[in-house]
This record gives sequence, structure tokens and C-alpha cells, in this order.
Amino acid sequence: MSARVDTVAFFDALAAEMNAHPERFELLGSADMVAEVVMNRPEGDFRVRLAFEGLGCSGVTEVEGGGAPDCDFRLVGPLAAWQGMFADIAANGRATGLWTINSLALLGTEIACVGDDPMGLDKFSRFNQSLQEFFDGARQVPVGA
Amino acid sequence: MAETVAYPDLPTESPMGAPLDWAWLRGAKSEWGVHPKPSARGLTMLDIATGTYGEVPDRPKHRSMAPRGADVDDDTADMGYILNRKTDVWADNVVELYEEAVARQWSATRDIPWGELTELPSDLEHAICQLCTLLTEVEMIAADLPAKWMWRLNHDFIEAKMFLCTQIMDEARHAEVFRKRALANGGGLLLSRSGPTSLLRTIIEAKTYTQASALMHLLGEGFVLDIFRMGELIAPTDVEKRIFRMCMQDEARHVAYGTMHLRYAVEHDPDVAEEIHEALDVGEGVLIDFGTAPDVSTALAVLLAGGTEHVEDKGFPLSMELTVKQLTSYLARCERAGLNRLERTQIPLDMLGIDVEPIKAAAGSAR
Repeated sequence: MSARVDTVAFFDALAAEMNAHPERFELLGSADMVAEVVMNRPEGDFRVRLAFEGLGCSGVTEVEGGGAPDCDFRLVGPLAAWQGMFADIAANGRATGLWTINSLALLGTEIACVGDDPMGLDKFSRFNQSLQEFFDGARQVPVGA
Repeated sequence: MAETVAYPDLPTESPMGAPLDWAWLRGAKSEWGVHPKPSARGLTMLDIATGTYGEVPDRPKHRSMAPRGADVDDDTADMGYILNRKTDVWADNVVELYEEAVARQWSATRDIPWGELTELPSDLEHAICQLCTLLTEVEMIAADLPAKWMWRLNHDFIEAKMFLCTQIMDEARHAEVFRKRALANGGGLLLSRSGPTSLLRTIIEAKTYTQASALMHLLGEGFVLDIFRMGELIAPTDVEKRIFRMCMQDEARHVAYGTMHLRYAVEHDPDVAEEIHEALDVGEGVLIDFGTAPDVSTALAVLLAGGTEHVEDKGFPLSMELTVKQLTSYLARCERAGLNRLERTQIPLDMLGIDVEPIKAAAGSAR
């Protein structure tokens, strides 16, 4: 079964992949953060909140619009940019070149890392490789159209 | 309190005739039986911050190396500590950051794919070697500086001391990894100019620890953190990308400690804000001199351009864009620390095109 990247099912599968393979995250160490992924679509944004604790992903929750964001940082970009990142992961087994989340968010032209609190934003840097490894789990998750 | 049991039949002298002291067994005046529960990841420092053991005094009673929470003799030796107020060193996130640091250690020998290095064009190899020369030089200041102050830091703030120990280890690893990279691919160490030394002297000679923390954690390491983030664009190969990414994670912890230490200091002792501002008034000028030093800016521009050919049309413009991001991040962290630098900064905001409104708005909502 495959899932579109702009679905909770897709991120649930990434979380399951992470939680099934703590050994891949053990080398990087524990990570505690709440990130929100926002995919801009013509029909309305898809927003999902990802909670990480220790070596696992403890929560995947779709977020309805409005209200103050309850997360350390948000990664906001057009659906096409996210699709591009996950396609690169599927093709290469991990994000490569300028398709890493750090690259995409660096200039903010593709995906912007935003937040109200610099301390929350700095968690994007502190746990960056754990987050990348989480996204790289997409190599095991069939992506639908 | 430890339970009091008499144990009346214990000897009063050792077999050699020396007097024996059984006070520790008969009921010390420290808390006993706290039973901290391990969390899912093990028994953390946060888990054992329980009962009186979790109480960090604003002004410790002793200046000795006695562990906080122990039953300490009144005449315990004075170690000559000068950082004896919690506001001098504390940060509300320091215990969490210590655990994070321990959990996220890595090895510059083992965790970098050195075997994947490939021969680079000469201009790129020179540029990455020049950058590594600089980073090898400046990274150790973030080890020397805490080392300078740690033995003056009251032992009741043990968690802050422990965190600074992890920072020293992190910086040793950074100096190691950049020195290794400079030598590993047919290049070597290049120019060491006086500019970096001036910045490093400004940091190491700061009069107080809090001023030093502002100069090092907030200003210097914040600046370097953004260079590491730029690793995605400046690294010639995946090997250097890996180096920058791993260093970035460490550096962000140090910046997180410094930001929250300054916030704690300013919140609990507002007078300290002026002291920090004065340090940053000087530090910003020195940092700008450092960042615009010809050898630093040219090496970065060549790396960003992917070589010398496009250094003017691509390298320098991209470098300027990233400088604006660096300075914006720094000013936002100052606001988070409770320091309004927007009205006072030496950074030419208008000339650089730095938009201060988002910083002000974020500061307002973070408070």
C-alpha cells in the first residue's frame, strides 16, 4: 500500500519505521522536539505535528489551521518541494545534495524553517540529523501519487 | 534525613589504633531514600533532581567541592570560588542540555567517512583548507573559555559545570575534525591571520563569566553555528557536509545554553544587562572585522561559488545573503535572552538590509 506524502498515513508510516529501528538513531542520540510540517497546496495546507522523544517518534497529529502553533519550529514549503525531497530519498536511499532538509531550509527559498522562538528554531539545528534520518525512513515507505 | 540507627556495638578504633567515625552510618543530616525513577532512556540528571537534591541554591552556603545535598562540615575548605550566585552561571535548560550532550557525542575518527574523500580542484581544496585552518583556530576558544572559569564556579552548580565539560569535549572534537580535514586530502593548514586572534582575545579577556558567555555563546558560537549550517552550500563533498552537520548539532547546544544563561541572569539581576551590552558593543565590532577579514570572506565565497570562476557573480552575493541570516539569527537570540540590541547594535542594519520587524514580533510573542 502506498500513501501520498501529504497524508497522516505517510507520516505514521515514517514514525513506525523510526520506532522499529532505534538502532539507526542510537548513534545520533536521543532527540526531544516537536516539529510541524506544513505543505502548501492549492486546496489548502496540509499540516502535521511530529513529536520526538528519545529515540522515537511519539506522536503524529494532523493540525487544523488557526491557533498558536504548539511546536518548536515549523517547516513550511510547497507540496512540490516536499515531494521532491521524498522522491530523492526514494531514489538514493537518503536525501542527497540540496535535497536534505537542512539544505532546503537554509535559504528558505524551497522550505522555510520558521518559529516564534529562537530557542525552538535552534532545535532544528540541535537535532537536525535525527530529523533527517526520520525523513530518510521514506526509502522504506512506498509513496503514492 | 537519613534514618538514625545506633549500631551500638561498632568498634571505636581501627585495628591500628586509629579513631573511627561512624557518623555516616548513624544518621547524616542529608536526605535519604529519594528513590528516583529512571525514565525510558535511563536514569537522567533530570530524574535525580528530586527532593532537596533538585534544589539549586541562589547563593550556596559553602565554597567547597562538597556535593550539593550532602551533610557538609561547617569548616569545609574554601576553594576560592568567585562565581557563587546562581545568576552567574545558571540556565533553566542546562540539565537537559547536559543529558543531550552526553547522548549525542560522536567521533571524528569513526563517524566521518574519511575514505570517501576525493581529489578536488586546487582552488576548492585551498578554500576548504583555509576555512578549516580558521575553524581549527577559533573552535578551541570555546574550550579554553569555560576551562578558564570552571575552577572558579561554585560546586553547587554542578550541572552547569558538567555541561561546560561537555562543551570542552565538543570543541576538542571540532578542532580535531577540522585539523584532520585540512590534512586529509592532499592540502594542509593555510593562513592564520591576526584578525581571529583579536576576536579570541576579546572573548578570553572578558571581565566576568556572563560577559564572556555573551561574547562566546551568543555572538561567537552563534556566528559559527550559521557557518556550520551553511555547510550544505559550502562543503565540496558529502564528507565535509557530514562534518558540518555533526558540528552544527553540538554548536547549537552551546548557543542554547548561552542564550538561556543570559536570560536567567538578566531576569534575576536586571543590572547585569548593561554589563552584557557593553561586552557586545565591543564584541560586535570585533566580530564584523573577523567576518569581513579578506581571507575568511574570500575562502567562503569560493566555496559558495563552487570555485573561483563564479566567485563574483555567485560567491559574494550568496555570502552576503548568508551574512544577513547570521546577523538576523544573532539579534533574534539577543531578544530571546532579554537583551534588546536592536536599538544599540553596532551592526549596520540598514546597509545590510536586515528587517528588524520579524525579530521584534517574534520577541514579543516569545516573552
